[in-house]
Amino acid sequence: MSPVQTQGRTSVPDNLYTAILAIAFFAVLATTALVAYMCYTQYETIFKIAS
Amino acid sequence: MSTLTKILIVLLTMFTILLCGIVVTYVATAVNYKEKYDGQQNRMRALTEEKNAADQKRNETIKKAEEREVELGKKISSLEADINKLQSDLTAAKQKRDDAIDRADNWQAIATDFSKTTEMQVQLAKDAINDRNEIDTERIDNLKELEEKTASLIENMALIEQLEQQTRTLREEKTALQNKLDQILAQYGKTIPTPLPITQISDKARTAPPVTGIDLKGKISDIDINNSTIEISVGSADGVREKMIFHATRGDKFICDIEIFEVDQDKAVGTLDLVQDTPRIGDLVSTNL
Repeated sequence: MSPVQTQGRTSVPDNLYTAILAIAFFAVLATTALVAYMCYTQYETIFKIAS
Repeated sequence: MSTLTKILIVLLTMFTILLCGIVVTYVATAVNYKEKYDGQQNRMRALTEEKNAADQKRNETIKKAEEREVELGKKISSLEADINKLQSDLTAAKQKRDDAIDRADNWQAIATDFSKTTEMQVQLAKDAINDRNEIDTERIDNLKELEEKTASLIENMALIEQLEQQTRTLREEKTALQNKLDQILAQYGKTIPTPLPITQISDKARTAPPVTGIDLKGKISDIDINNSTIEISVGSADGVREKMIFHATRGDKFICDIEIFEVDQDKAVGTLDLVQDTPRIGDLVSTNL
């Protein structure tokens, strides 16, 4: 997509927002992976309650 | 894409990153409760084992203490019995010690008396030896005197025999003269009157009647060992005279003789003689045994 000129103001292209969403997604993914790793290393399980 | 959508995307991204940061921070700094639990579990297990071991040790200690208490009780009983026995032995030993002390005192008193008696005996022996020496000297003098008197007696006997011989000669001459005178006077019918002796013959001595014992009795009232003199409790009022000899006795035992040389009205003093034992105050004295 290319930037759109509307009514004389500069508009941000949509690809930027797609990149922002990608960053947010990878941030969530990395956090989830870290939490899963920590849970597994500490309690040897991810979803069950450690006994 | 609308503006609102863009704003929401930006906000969503920002909050997402913020939330992810919070979660990552929390997870990174979260405490490992499982590890802590396992550590506490292991510690509790070790403490439990220690507790059991301590309980077992305590029970063993209690058991040993009870056994030790029983053993010590037996020892205490034995020691109490020993103590009682030792106390009885101590009492007996004290009694024996007191008896021994009494006997020692008695023996000491006896030894003291014996020493005094020995000293007295020694003094008496010395006096007796002196008396014996004096008597020996006197006996030697008497023997000399006796020898002289014996020699004189022999001379006198020889003189008497000579005089008797002369007497017999004179008697024979007298008899011959008497016969001649009788023959001469017979021729004239006369006789000779009986001549009177020139020396009057006195009466013959008669045997004196035996002296009966006056049987004076008294007691020894004082003793002077140094001078070997003894004072008796009878005197001239009882008939005691000088040169009297009293016999000192104790029971059936003869002690000594006492020759009186000084007499008062109620007492008399004499010297020791024929000492057989040490005289004591209170011994009986008598003229007859």
